[in-house]
Amino acid sequence: MSSLTSNAEANLELNPLQRGWQRFLRFLFPPESDTWLTVFRTGLGLQVTLYALFLRTDWHYLFASSGKGLVGREVGEAITSFESPLIPRFGWLIAVGRSLNISEETVLTVAWVGLLSAGFLLLLGLLSRPAAIVAWFVHLCASESGGLLAYGADNFMTTALFYLMLSPLPDRYSFDHWVAKTKLKNPKTLGFWRRVLQVHLCFVYFIGGLAKSLGSGWWDGSNLWRSLIRPPFNLVSPELLVQFKYVLPLVGISICLLEVSYPLFIWLKRTRWIWLGCVLVMHAAIGLMMGLYLFALIMIVMNIAAFGVPSASSGAEMVSGPHQQ
Amino acid sequence: MYSKRIHVVWFGIHFFLVTAVCLAGVFWLIAQGATILPSACNEFAHKAELGATWCLGKEAGASNPFRTGIASYLHAAGIQAGYSFFAPNVPSHHRLTLELFHGDGRVEYESPHVRSKAAALRLDSLLDKLPEQRYESVREALVKMLAFSVWREHPDVKKVRATFGSINPPGMNEFEQGKTETFQPMFSFDFSLRGEEQQ
Repeated sequence: MSSLTSNAEANLELNPLQRGWQRFLRFLFPPESDTWLTVFRTGLGLQVTLYALFLRTDWHYLFASSGKGLVGREVGEAITSFESPLIPRFGWLIAVGRSLNISEETVLTVAWVGLLSAGFLLLLGLLSRPAAIVAWFVHLCASESGGLLAYGADNFMTTALFYLMLSPLPDRYSFDHWVAKTKLKNPKTLGFWRRVLQVHLCFVYFIGGLAKSLGSGWWDGSNLWRSLIRPPFNLVSPELLVQFKYVLPLVGISICLLEVSYPLFIWLKRTRWIWLGCVLVMHAAIGLMMGLYLFALIMIVMNIAAFGVPSASSGAEMVSGPHQQ
Repeated sequence: MYSKRIHVVWFGIHFFLVTAVCLAGVFWLIAQGATILPSACNEFAHKAELGATWCLGKEAGASNPFRTGIASYLHAAGIQAGYSFFAPNVPSHHRLTLELFHGDGRVEYESPHVRSKAAALRLDSLLDKLPEQRYESVREALVKMLAFSVWREHPDVKKVRATFGSINPPGMNEFEQGKTETFQPMFSFDFSLRGEEQQ
């Protein structure tokens, strides 16, 4: 009781700026359990595994050098190195392989096997951090070497793997914790990395929603029509879509409003589950109706890890046992 | 406490960069006149876009360490592009048709292809990027490589004509009236074993 009083007195002594700063720090470092990290790790493990398996048959064709592949890795790498020579790409690994008398084909195969293995290890939680680093690095090389072949899902995967590799792994449901009996991490550090993911998603939806709202086609449903009949996303027949012609403008407007208002309503306890549910349904629909399975999965994983797992500070379970600072 | 400060500083820098990238993207869309905003906003948006890109070091020289450092970080964190997918409007779809002229006079039509659906999505992403102004310098080389990827499967072909264009889908009302998509050629290239000639 006396400590509570002294805290309150100390708070009164702070000027508004200092009080705001303290509030900001409390927002950034909420005590958090590692359940969200388990969801994030396993979700990304599944994502990386599926990414590697989906590209299995075309892996060499997409990333081989000119004359062997689709367009040749060199064009993407030249564009990337114009941005910065420090951005990782397959060309680095292939140069190392060449100096060791290893062919380009073998290096690409090893990279693919490394990515698939990293995905499996993340799913299990075995060697969690090394697996996260390998997955991030190989995926980044693939995104940059095939820069012109990349699309939105690749950026989200890079970001998610970047956050995962910096997060306080391993979590308590991982094999690492079970086998090596690693100490559980500081709840405030866990809370910080969850906040990073949450704030990032707010940027994603707000900017996405704002940009859509600036286009006339999202208010009359014509953009929804165009996106659903546009190859290669045209999985639903146009004849079927025409039957819902009066619903499309409503769905288009709902998407704009849902995304723009995400940074507000996802934080309010009363509306969080509604907004999260609607966003998950939207991504599931994008995956199923447009064939963007990897894009849908990464967005669902990020959303569930960020907002779908009950927060420890809201009265749910807390990490128990010794903590590592 | 020291670790906490590092975290806070990183958080500030990281999300400052995310904000700059996102705003640069949105202001670029407005400056291009691609939005429903009045054209009076275009000039302001262009200036604002320059301000945002300046924060990212893009106005500095190509070898400037500040610029390369920021670019490396943005790519490493996957935050180098904004999040305005399919916005403000859904872009047109593009197609590359290859006319294969065989030695015996036969003519076949093909398109670059891959095996899996996941890779097909990526090929479509590449085709949609080709008309962008920033890829103008590598456009011909890319089309040539795509043509060559098909040519390898048909070694007896003497000449390839690559025609690139956009596909304009019908609107919903037009579709109900029986209209179908239209193909609008944008550019074409002729490639032969001895050399190539642009049309």
